[in-house]
Amino acid sequence: MQSIQTEVLVIGGGATGTGVMRDLAMRGFKTILVEKRDLSHGTTGRYHGLLHSGGRYAVKDPDAARECIEENLILRRIAPHCIEDTGGFFVVTPWDDPAFGDTFMKGCQETGIPCEEISIAQMLKEEPLLNKEMARCFRVPDGSADSFLTSECNVASAKAYGGQMLNYHEVKRLIKEGDKVVGAVCYDLVNDRDVTIHADLVVNASGAWAGKIAGSIGIDVHIIPGKGTMVAIAHRVLNTVVNRCKMPSDGDIIVPVHTVAIIGTTDVKVEDPDQFAIQPWEVQLMLDEGEKLVPGTKQMRMLRAWAGVRPLYQETSVADTRDVTRAYTLLDHSARDGVDNFITITGGKWTTFRQMAEVVVDRVCEKLNTKRECRTHLEAIPDIQHEPRTAEGYYWLGSRLARTEKNKAYGELACECELVTRAEVEEAITKHEAKTFDDIRRDTRLGMGPCQGGFCSYRATGILHTVRQPSIEETNVALRDFLQERWKGLLPILWGPQLKQERLDELMYLHVMNVDHMPGETASRLGPQMYDKGTVETRPQSAKT
Amino acid sequence: MNEITIIGAGMAGLMAGWQAAKQGKKVKIVAKGWGATHWLSGCIDIVGYYPVDGTEVVENPVAAVKQIITDNPQHPYGLVGLDDIEAMISALKDECAAAGYPLHGELHRNWLLPSAVGTLRPTCLAPEMMIAGDMRQNSPLLIVGFKQLMDFFPNVVSDNLNKQGITAAQAMVDLRVLRERSFINPVILAEMLEQPAVQKELANQIKPHLGQAERVGFPSVLGMDQAMTVKKELERLLGRPVFEIPSLTPSVPGMRLHHILTQAIVSAGGRIENGMEAIGAKKENGKVTAVYTSTAARPHPHRSQQYILATGGILGGGITTNSDGDVREVVFDLPVTAPLKQVDWFHQDFLDKRGHPIYQSGLSVNKQFQPLDDGGQPVYGNVFAIGTTLAHCEAIRERSFEGVALATGYALARQLGAT
Ligand SMILES: Cc1cc2nc3c(=O)[nH]c(=O)nc-3n(C[C@H](O)[C@H](O)[C@H](O)COP(=O)(O)OP(=O)(O)OC[C@H]3O[C@@H](n4cnc5c(N)ncnc54)[C@H](O)[C@@H]3O)c2cc1C
Repeated sequence: MQSIQTEVLVIGGGATGTGVMRDLAMRGFKTILVEKRDLSHGTTGRYHGLLHSGGRYAVKDPDAARECIEENLILRRIAPHCIEDTGGFFVVTPWDDPAFGDTFMKGCQETGIPCEEISIAQMLKEEPLLNKEMARCFRVPDGSADSFLTSECNVASAKAYGGQMLNYHEVKRLIKEGDKVVGAVCYDLVNDRDVTIHADLVVNASGAWAGKIAGSIGIDVHIIPGKGTMVAIAHRVLNTVVNRCKMPSDGDIIVPVHTVAIIGTTDVKVEDPDQFAIQPWEVQLMLDEGEKLVPGTKQMRMLRAWAGVRPLYQETSVADTRDVTRAYTLLDHSARDGVDNFITITGGKWTTFRQMAEVVVDRVCEKLNTKRECRTHLEAIPDIQHEPRTAEGYYWLGSRLARTEKNKAYGELACECELVTRAEVEEAITKHEAKTFDDIRRDTRLGMGPCQGGFCSYRATGILHTVRQPSIEETNVALRDFLQERWKGLLPILWGPQLKQERLDELMYLHVMNVDHMPGETASRLGPQMYDKGTVETRPQSAKT
Repeated sequence: MNEITIIGAGMAGLMAGWQAAKQGKKVKIVAKGWGATHWLSGCIDIVGYYPVDGTEVVENPVAAVKQIITDNPQHPYGLVGLDDIEAMISALKDECAAAGYPLHGELHRNWLLPSAVGTLRPTCLAPEMMIAGDMRQNSPLLIVGFKQLMDFFPNVVSDNLNKQGITAAQAMVDLRVLRERSFINPVILAEMLEQPAVQKELANQIKPHLGQAERVGFPSVLGMDQAMTVKKELERLLGRPVFEIPSLTPSVPGMRLHHILTQAIVSAGGRIENGMEAIGAKKENGKVTAVYTSTAARPHPHRSQQYILATGGILGGGITTNSDGDVREVVFDLPVTAPLKQVDWFHQDFLDKRGHPIYQSGLSVNKQFQPLDDGGQPVYGNVFAIGTTLAHCEAIRERSFEGVALATGYALARQLGAT
């Protein structure tokens, strides 16, 4: 078995893990991060896309609100290329209590969140599609954030400081010697073999899976997986983040992210973070709630639905997952469980990943008896995009169009929907080590537009086969994996124009290309894991109304 | 007043319009666009896989069609019968041959032609442009791609062919005329390849790669109107048969066929009005008296004795669905046969061999192609439906897409002409 030695091993390639990796590497620790699939494969890549101002928690959870606004300001400074400054509204709809507006204002003041009330006329001027019957509207500094890009940039920055990242490496179990954790045994999915990594210290940043990792050496970490389903409207119906001004609930936020607008989310307790089917009632609820904010939502074209699992940590079990605190949890297992050299960090939010990393690495320093200052809030995270667009900042379709026009690269577009060029796909494969088309997608947004991979999947197949020259069976299965991956997210929202689109994709891939008769396997280890089929058709009692 | 108004200008509508006009009927086609022809392979599939979840490719469509009719009499082929399929094929072959763009093939045997990923595609009729690619004969091939065309990768084709025991090499050409352009697609390329100088440069670049190849395959871009001339010239320059492989949209071979069919309608005295979306109909005493198309000012009525619905099902937009799980026929609001519950619309795998049940949604019709109500009675005396708007058929999984459209269009027109 292959064996590697490092100082600190970080488990999990989400926002938290990549943030920890960067902080460790910047403070001079020899660091390896392992992720079982690709970066952002977990909750980080399936979240809502909101850079919280803290407004959502201002009344219910002031600690979380304070953490959010602090980090919101830091992230805007260190990662402007990952953030779009959309601004945010909290709106009082006809279904909400207008008096909550004052409670909300007060909460914001007490937690340091800049907040001003604006007139409904002004609100409609900025967002004409919003419900005209709104009673009040408050402006807060919410934003929209690209979590894929942030994870990538964090890792690139860590690598520049000597860190190492191994994706498609799944931790099978921790290795414990006496009362110390000394490393982990990982399964390398690409090469189908086990790899042992020895480390002085292990940081468990595996989000909703943290309990499973700790459980491999008999430590009980109680995570309540809280599933949230989101639905993407095929275009940006809003340019501002819009939240319902009430106690946090289901389907009460719409976030404009890149080319789409996302309605979310539900919150349902699930048994296992790997088993979370999207139920039809969840999609219906998102549409009904979306309709209240933006009338006409139900008639709009939906692009995809997906679900993420909140990693909510709780020592004592609580029935309603929404009442569990969102503030993060750091567990030093030496004090808690008598097992040394092992730290778990879980909970929190995407917005607070940097602070969570800072706290973890402070603890790492303490445990390894060294004093090194955190600098992640001071030093900007480098931009790794194909063509850094610092002038335009966060990617929106217009900036890609301008670049395409400037370079006269119309013929170079592999994905017309998201304006991704052949060179970007090639770079994702060669430099960013994309292994599957889905990795290329996270890197470039290939296949994320209205046709959902219809035109670009074939082109990506050809580019991958040309650049990497794998066996033809590997190329074939990569294409089939990707077609299935796109399908998976479409299933819950297939009706109307998107259903028509999918039939067209069938016409191209089955009728014209006959991809259902390609040599080789029909699916690979690296392919998508399907949500189990939705069976519950009505809303379970435990969820909120 | 028109005798027949056809809604939809896909394969089914065009075939019905052409045949009805040929029989002296006064025909008008109204359509919002051009149907699926511009997406298709340019071949005529009758049936390629049956049963759809089996592993065997259909060698003899006659036998497979018979089996389909036995297994599922409601299948569109059950309404049409083998004789009309035969008759449709010979009418189409005659017309294409007369247009200088011959189709080849017989109903009792399928070709096996390569696809743009190098799989072997069973199809019944293929344009002469494609038949040298038949894989039932195993002679070495060279597959050629164009560096600037991302819609065709010759290495994917050749590697998959090799994997299936067929000797194939590949070459990528980099034509000077293409280097100068910022954008190309199959249609632009097809038009450029009609120039003799471009053909010559192409042949010159290919020659060093010929090796042991006995035939040369290209993406389907070898000329638009002049395709047969381009093919012959390349064959002369290369000293070997050449053939096309259907590539991604826009489909040049599909456009060529479409052109032949629309010309045939016009020559037979029919009319086609495009850019007209049918949105509703006026119904009086069990008959339809007008179909409305949307215009800027007000719905525009089209009056006719008979109406043929050829709106292409879910793909064509003739049948729509919504988030509440409703499945609707958009022009006449005819009863649709569809899965009862929305949770039953799909299987979990995109490529599930059985096909997704929602796509079999459509109209149930009698042998006269009249849509039926729940009691099995015709809804309107003068409305007929053809093509993929019909239920009880998974045309993409079966590889019967063109066959179902053309055969139902042909059979209905013959019936209407006889009355
Ligand atoms: C529906 C929903 C919406 C949300 N929206 C927002 C929002 O808008 N704004 C916001 O700030 N926060 C939001 N959050 C919260 C936020 O997404 C999460 O708090 C954050 O992404 C968690 O990151 P993480 O790195 O801790 O966990 P993850 O992103 O889940 O990372 C854990 C990683 O560990 C990997 N892993 C698991 N097991 C193993 C193993 N055995 N070996 C190796 N690797 C393993 C997983 O593949 C995964 O990539 C949302 C959460 C949910 C559920």
